[in-house]
Amino acid sequence: MSSIFSRFVEIDLVDKRVTDFKVSPDYIRDYIGGASLAARLYLDIADPGVDPLSADNPLFVMCGPMGGTNFPGSSRFVMCAKSPLTGIWGESSSGGSLGAYLKKAGIDGLVIRGKAVAPCYLFIDDGKIDILDAADLWGLETYSAIDHLREIHAGEKKVSVASIGPAGENGVKFASVCNDKAHHVGRTGMGAVMGQKNMKALVVRGSGKVPLADEAGYKQARKNTLETAKESMITMSFNQVGTAAAMEMGMMTGDVPIKNWSVGLDDTIPEAIGGSVMVETIVKKRKACFACPIACKPEVVIESQKYVMDRGPGPEYETCGTFGSMLMNLDLAGLSKANERCNQLGMDTISCGATIAFIMEAYEKGLLTQEKLDGLDLSWGNIDATIELLDNIAYRRGFGDKAAEGSADLAANLGNGADEFLVTVKGLELPMHDPRGFHGMGLAYMMSTRGACHLQHSCQAVEQGMVAWDDAGLEEDYEGPSSDGKAEMVFITENIGQMANTLCTCHFVHWAIGMENLIDGFNAVTGLGYNLDAFMKAGARAWVLKRSIGNLMGITAEDDRLPARVLTPLEDGGSEGTIPDMSLLKREYYQLRGLNENGIPSAELLDSLDLGFLKERLQAV
Amino acid sequence: MAQLDVFSEEWCKLWKDMLNENAVFAKYNKGWEGDLAGVVQADPDNNFPEEQYLYLHFHDGSAIDVKMITKEEAQKCKFIMTGPYMRWYQVAKGDLDAVKAMMQGKLKLKGNLPYVVKYVKGVQESIKTMQGIDTNFPNE
Repeated sequence: MSSIFSRFVEIDLVDKRVTDFKVSPDYIRDYIGGASLAARLYLDIADPGVDPLSADNPLFVMCGPMGGTNFPGSSRFVMCAKSPLTGIWGESSSGGSLGAYLKKAGIDGLVIRGKAVAPCYLFIDDGKIDILDAADLWGLETYSAIDHLREIHAGEKKVSVASIGPAGENGVKFASVCNDKAHHVGRTGMGAVMGQKNMKALVVRGSGKVPLADEAGYKQARKNTLETAKESMITMSFNQVGTAAAMEMGMMTGDVPIKNWSVGLDDTIPEAIGGSVMVETIVKKRKACFACPIACKPEVVIESQKYVMDRGPGPEYETCGTFGSMLMNLDLAGLSKANERCNQLGMDTISCGATIAFIMEAYEKGLLTQEKLDGLDLSWGNIDATIELLDNIAYRRGFGDKAAEGSADLAANLGNGADEFLVTVKGLELPMHDPRGFHGMGLAYMMSTRGACHLQHSCQAVEQGMVAWDDAGLEEDYEGPSSDGKAEMVFITENIGQMANTLCTCHFVHWAIGMENLIDGFNAVTGLGYNLDAFMKAGARAWVLKRSIGNLMGITAEDDRLPARVLTPLEDGGSEGTIPDMSLLKREYYQLRGLNENGIPSAELLDSLDLGFLKERLQAV
Repeated sequence: MAQLDVFSEEWCKLWKDMLNENAVFAKYNKGWEGDLAGVVQADPDNNFPEEQYLYLHFHDGSAIDVKMITKEEAQKCKFIMTGPYMRWYQVAKGDLDAVKAMMQGKLKLKGNLPYVVKYVKGVQESIKTMQGIDTNFPNE
């Protein structure tokens, strides 16, 4: 018996109706689960032209097929909808336990439709689903809401809670969903979509056992996988130093963005806010997601004079970038507090911090004044003013109301050359990896189906040399600041990375265990019998499907480009004097992927991936 | 200067001297304390018949000692980096980045990783310095 696809549920918040629905076996074979299956279902039920912040924008909460098993790193979940920040396909996944509990409750996916007349939350207690009143929860910050819901639903088996904060309630375009405090559905504004639906939280208790297609095969696959993970330097690095190790490593290679992407090197930054100093000063413990052998999540305590933080989730590398190097802030305590406030208010630390870096540069250039910023002095490095701004954004107070729209909207409204230092692709702020240091990452940003992203593919791991997957057709060693051979690398790593998001597996665990272990585990759980070719083809299908949805939402070849700032060579650092050859990369990539000159999948490509049904719809674009 | 055999006494001494003349190494190694053993596994097919043990002792930006040691001595070092001869050769020739080699499991590190991460630039610079030696490798 296979574990996958036993139950999909549509939840109509208008009528408070909960209805099971069937998913075609063809869909399961071709799209498997997670974001890929959500994208396919989206095309069946939604109008791509829908206003993202309207009741008609369905929100998907999806598991992967291996969720709830104890296969390493397999229990993430993903939320998908049209993004209010970018206006295109949005998806964002989270670790923790919620994905596992959902699956153990016997549920593979939820489609949440409509808008509740009053604040509500979903409570899934094993198979039973209730839509409950959230009047008392509305207005609470995420940590408080999570504590409250844990108390209400305390039982023999604990619940996992995902909640929005004030930012989601107030439609902040980069609002996140906070999952058990330490995990976040961060990117593309899924918190705002939840908020628009008057849905405060999702509470899940799951105590069932997930069935396996091949119990003996599973046992062996898991054993092999754990042995591989144990030996992996990725496991050791993420466990001992955390993701913030990328600050030290990246400063050397030109990966770390500094001062809104305008500076190439500053050795004081890793000394102040890098992974090793975090270990030495604030990290008290590492915590793990469900069934994870790595345990990379930092639990920190801050006891500075200015900022005090009880033991709780600490900043990851991305946040050390957005609230550290990007703002020229070397105060680790302030950075950690900004991270905590974003978590509590329910905001993506990448888009939020990057937007503030943009604001700081606009302020420096005189496009914004202290008066316009409600008296805040947003000079470089001013973390105190930054922290004050966070509440203004979440509650849409004063200038915070404008910042809540994201940096692309701010730049459009400011004019006067502000777009020269706006750093987004398709409206999504770049994560903290400089494409000048790693040209493949630049192409991956350009082509990502949700806007600039480092986790819609496995490019980072391959191009930075953390993994070498020759079985997938990749070379052993890529030179970072070079565009040669990168189109093919991105093409392959996109197909791989899409599968991590389809299976809802952790990218870090995937990097540590490699392709063979993952496919063996997948087959043992599902019985689908995929080989590497089928796996890669399913990844390609997922990418093309989401790209097509993007096309239906208005994306064309014009949108596949990097912003001017990261096409300006830096004067020092690991990426000194080099920029991605955008024209070469795009030309080679389009050819490899099979996109026409307008950036739309060709009919041949669609047919080859069993996506022929899209031909007619794409012809109208 | 004549070519020096890799891991010979002269080769080790020259590497140590070059490190102590390298201001960049001194800058990025400042604060480091501890010794590191490089375990170079045998590879008879490449004319490297026996496992050898390289010893590096750095202290606060200076190279205190670079020499070959015994297996027993290597096992007492604060950090131990192990790999096949050809991987070390690739690193020495600049064909393989040492950090990438560790991440990919081509060289295995035993020891406090956060400490190594903190001084990663110093580690890189020490290898870069060694690449400046005109070296005779047994497989060439």
